Amino acid sequence: MNRSISWMKYMALAAVLVMVLSGCGAAAGGSANGAAQASGGEQGEQAEGGNLTFALATSPDTLDPHRSGLAVTVRAIRTIYDNLVVQLPDGSIKPWLATEWSVSEDGKSYTFKLREGVKFHDGTPFNAEAVKYNLDRVIDPATKAANSLALIRPYSSSEVIDEYTIKVNLDSPSQAFLGNLSQALLGIVSPTAAQKYGDQLGKNPVGTGPYTFVKWDENADIVVAKNKDYNWGPETVENKAAPHVDTITFKIVPEEATRIGSVQSGQVLAAETVPPQNIAALKNDPNQQLLQANTVGLPYTLFFNLRKAPWDDVKVRQAVQSAVDVESIVKTLYLGNYERAWSALSPGILGYDASLEGSINPDINKANQLLDEQGWVKGADGIRAKDGQKLTLRYVDGSPNREKRNDIAAIIQQQLKQVGIAVEVEITKDVATVIYQNWDYDLYGNSQVNSDPNALYAFYHTSAEGQRPTLSGLSDPKIDELLEQGAVESDADKRVEIYNQIQQYLIEQAVILPIYVFPYTVAASKKVEGIKFDSLGYPLFNDVRIQP
Amino acid sequence: MVQTILSRLATSLLVIFGASVLVYCIMYLLPGDPVLLMLDPSSATPEMIENLRAQLGLDQPFYIQFANYFGDMLRGDFGKSMINSDPVLPKILEHFPATMALTALSSIIAITIGITLGVLSAIHRNGVIDFVARLVGLFGISMPTFWTGILLILLFSVQLGWFPAMGSDGFSSLVLPAATLGLVGAGFIVRMVRNSMLEVINEPFIVALRAKGLSERAIMYGHALRNALIPAVTVIGMLIGDLLAGTVVVETVFSRQGIGRIIADALMAKDLPVVQGVVFFTSIIYVVLNLLVDISYSYIDPRVRRAVRT
Repeated sequence: MNRSISWMKYMALAAVLVMVLSGCGAAAGGSANGAAQASGGEQGEQAEGGNLTFALATSPDTLDPHRSGLAVTVRAIRTIYDNLVVQLPDGSIKPWLATEWSVSEDGKSYTFKLREGVKFHDGTPFNAEAVKYNLDRVIDPATKAANSLALIRPYSSSEVIDEYTIKVNLDSPSQAFLGNLSQALLGIVSPTAAQKYGDQLGKNPVGTGPYTFVKWDENADIVVAKNKDYNWGPETVENKAAPHVDTITFKIVPEEATRIGSVQSGQVLAAETVPPQNIAALKNDPNQQLLQANTVGLPYTLFFNLRKAPWDDVKVRQAVQSAVDVESIVKTLYLGNYERAWSALSPGILGYDASLEGSINPDINKANQLLDEQGWVKGADGIRAKDGQKLTLRYVDGSPNREKRNDIAAIIQQQLKQVGIAVEVEITKDVATVIYQNWDYDLYGNSQVNSDPNALYAFYHTSAEGQRPTLSGLSDPKIDELLEQGAVESDADKRVEIYNQIQQYLIEQAVILPIYVFPYTVAASKKVEGIKFDSLGYPLFNDVRIQP
Repeated sequence: MVQTILSRLATSLLVIFGASVLVYCIMYLLPGDPVLLMLDPSSATPEMIENLRAQLGLDQPFYIQFANYFGDMLRGDFGKSMINSDPVLPKILEHFPATMALTALSSIIAITIGITLGVLSAIHRNGVIDFVARLVGLFGISMPTFWTGILLILLFSVQLGWFPAMGSDGFSSLVLPAATLGLVGAGFIVRMVRNSMLEVINEPFIVALRAKGLSERAIMYGHALRNALIPAVTVIGMLIGDLLAGTVVVETVFSRQGIGRIIADALMAKDLPVVQGVVFFTSIIYVVLNLLVDISYSYIDPRVRRAVRT
């Protein structure tokens, strides 16, 4: 008896220890747990104030816009930083931190007039010096800039004309440059903070945006608070002044069932990236709403590696194009919630060629005929062969099964078997080595969020000597010329015509198999109003209100 | 006793060193280039890649990289994350309490449910309690952790709204993750305790005690259980290690902060300094656990204590 009593005493002691430890592990300000925060929104009497809790699917890598390589980062940094210009959904560029601008005749320099009276969150004044510092920071190798570096090209230098005027010089004219300046990854950071924190700016972000950074607990949450002085919102939002809500808490919830569960249980007010199988249930939930915006840029596209035989043969690629039933793949996997892609560009971007819609339909007979013509004969095992070589396609995809991309590979494997093509699917976490180092694939899928059709350049222009090859390995002087023209053509109609030609070529020559347009989805409580999306499909929180 | 502990400590240091070397080699030999993972492969130029590699010292031969790393570690410098330049040591120390709390509470749940059900089912063999206990055991062992976790979220967060579905704010958010892990642990302990109790109950000394006229209760809890606990303690020691490993899954499912998630992210990104740091710390815990298990033997079983003394 004695023994069992002392044993219980130890257990009780251990339980107390756990409570103390869990207290230590809790976020600063401990007692306010998630449920209490959500109900804080309910209790708010007016539509002003409150805390928006927003569950992110993955953790941002850094809150330094210039160093980030992840799309998820943009959801958070959009609240902290502003850009020089903003792009409207129709593709036009409007003022933001820059009030007006002019382009030199040779198209190689831009002169921006900057907004006066803007201050960074740390009190640093926003002016021409600050802009020059930002642009130079992106191209400085010490910054270790990531995606922002690709966006800023062909920037060469800038000159401060006066306190609120800056001249930006390019190496060559670029029609994509202004649009790129609107992207969050080229957000303007406080020069004072950037110098003070160096490579830790990502943990101590300071911008001019509608929200100021409060804290970031790794793998738990990022908190931003309303910037009371804000009154320079862009045209994409209604409320140009300080936001209505007091704070936004971005919670990081990678497991999708947990993420959706936490919206349904009211622990968070909104959650991003709703899996297709949950969309129908959320649409029927009286307490929830589903917000959706198609992302703009390159849809999820499968690229043939044209450097490898037999995929350098257009007839063989066309056979695959005819044998793959994209429509049924997209319907089966996404239950009617994703749109099928028809072109190398997604709808909504300048130059998108809508005439390609409905142009390619599955045709097994045509596929068989094309392969017969090229001398690929079916063997006893049902797989075609020529000169003793089996017709196999090496399909590489990254893991985990993001947006069910592994399942696309499995379905295509089945579909191509019917026409005698053996598909070897390799799912690997290490696409950096397999794809970008060894270039060891026949078919590989990728997508890109972008605001300008010039995004095609990196995927289809012949890669220069010593530069990394493109995913498609395409090398056609005609396309190279069109891509070069498209980058500099200032007449919008001519530009559209150029990009139409390129898109048509890519489909006619079966360089790619476009699969789906990715919709950015947000499940939110009906109490949340005013989540908007920018032209790329990223959420904007300037107009958000939480109803009592 | 002291001598034993000292010699065990010396072995422990070797184990920790060995674990560090092994992990370093595995990470080094794994395919995949951390530099390519850090930079966006579609926009970085080869020049940028080479510069970064040189900056991180990854262009040095293997033994120099390892020597640099180990030397720094002995001085208490665990380096910086290659992904976001965070210093590794503060990061681990910050996230350690959350994981320890999770492991500790799930151990308590596992041990309490496990021993209680194990003993009861052995005493009431083939009765209703035995049936329930064996079912719990089977459930705990055979269900994947993440599945149990999601079921608990659906039931206790979405349907009943009793506990938060995620987060690491306070005790209430600890309950579901700990229960998820605890159920797995309980499954193993129930089976272990039940089997060893059944063995002990049939031993001659129990018959002798009954003949002496001791109450059934005193026999079961005072004598049989104590003898049955020795193998159970071994299992529990190993199990706490398993629970610690299980936090990788549970912390992800419940979006908790903790070293489980840090190491999962770091492995994915081939973030060598972080992986090394976490392995170093967890190997310390494993070693300490084993030490505690050995010491507790002598506490539970006087024969072991006497054997150590002589």
